[in-house]
Amino acid sequence: MFDYFSKFENGLSTTRSMAKQVTVVGVGALGSHFVQFMRSEDVRFKLIDHDRVESKNTLAQFHGKPSLGKFKTQALQSTMNMLFAVKMEPIANKLTSDNVTQLLSGADLIVDCLDNAEARRLIQQYVRAGYGTPCLHGAVDAEGSFGRVVWDEVFTIDSGSASDTPTCEGGENLPFIASVAAFMARSAQTFLRTNVRMGYQISPGGVVITR
Amino acid sequence: MDQVFEGQMVRVIPPHQARVEVTYRRAHGELPDAVTFDASDEEIRGWLTEAIRTGGIPGIAADPTVNLNDYVVDRFAPVPGVREHNLIQTRPKTEFGRCLITLVNSRTV
Repeated sequence: MFDYFSKFENGLSTTRSMAKQVTVVGVGALGSHFVQFMRSEDVRFKLIDHDRVESKNTLAQFHGKPSLGKFKTQALQSTMNMLFAVKMEPIANKLTSDNVTQLLSGADLIVDCLDNAEARRLIQQYVRAGYGTPCLHGAVDAEGSFGRVVWDEVFTIDSGSASDTPTCEGGENLPFIASVAAFMARSAQTFLRTNVRMGYQISPGGVVITR
Repeated sequence: MDQVFEGQMVRVIPPHQARVEVTYRRAHGELPDAVTFDASDEEIRGWLTEAIRTGGIPGIAADPTVNLNDYVVDRFAPVPGVREHNLIQTRPKTEFGRCLITLVNSRTV
């Protein structure tokens, strides 16, 4: 596989390559599966998430029991390296209005796998502030019954929360979450190879191509 | 309007109308009849609420307590070669998590 991150200094890559950089914000339910579905692509991954792996996360996220207590970014990096020899850059920081430019700069594609409107707004503000970085959003509802894969230029952040209870923790949601992540990966793959931006809405009734 | 196409009845949706789908409590169905594409969100939620309340949507069990006030109405134009009609999807919100970030200040980045 690619050894683009063979050298790190203070968490920053010291090597350059022609491979495009895909920055994934949030490597929980959607993000962890997205990364593993993209493992065969010729890209450099940067992972951003400040959360740690909890036992409940192993039911529906691509995080295993050996990763309990680790930062999700570092856990996913270790797993992907061990299983597939895919290396990536983990950033175990909160995305804030003060660091968003620093953390998202350099990305050829930003993939938003967050679960709340406030954090999405930071990404959307960055993308729409003139940086012009292509940005793909993934979102699921609280019941794990509806998923959206939407490019930023047509993405509307749902106002308010449908529920205050984080979901996607139960194993019953795993097949649906993985399905949404697979369509995210398909959309990103299509974009990286052809520059075509495909959107999808995933429901119990099937998949609708939105553009 | 239904037409026979390759031996099967096919629902034909006129250009100014739309098919209306709804995802409700992990079930999915659609209104039996198309509606005008420019119907308001409130009208669409109202029609769907009545239909779900009375069991009028195949695939979704009747629910006298249904409340779609918090649902989102998405509208999609035809995609040539993929979908030849307008589509309206009514769905639950897709933000559910608590804010886990720190909004340090309000300046625009």
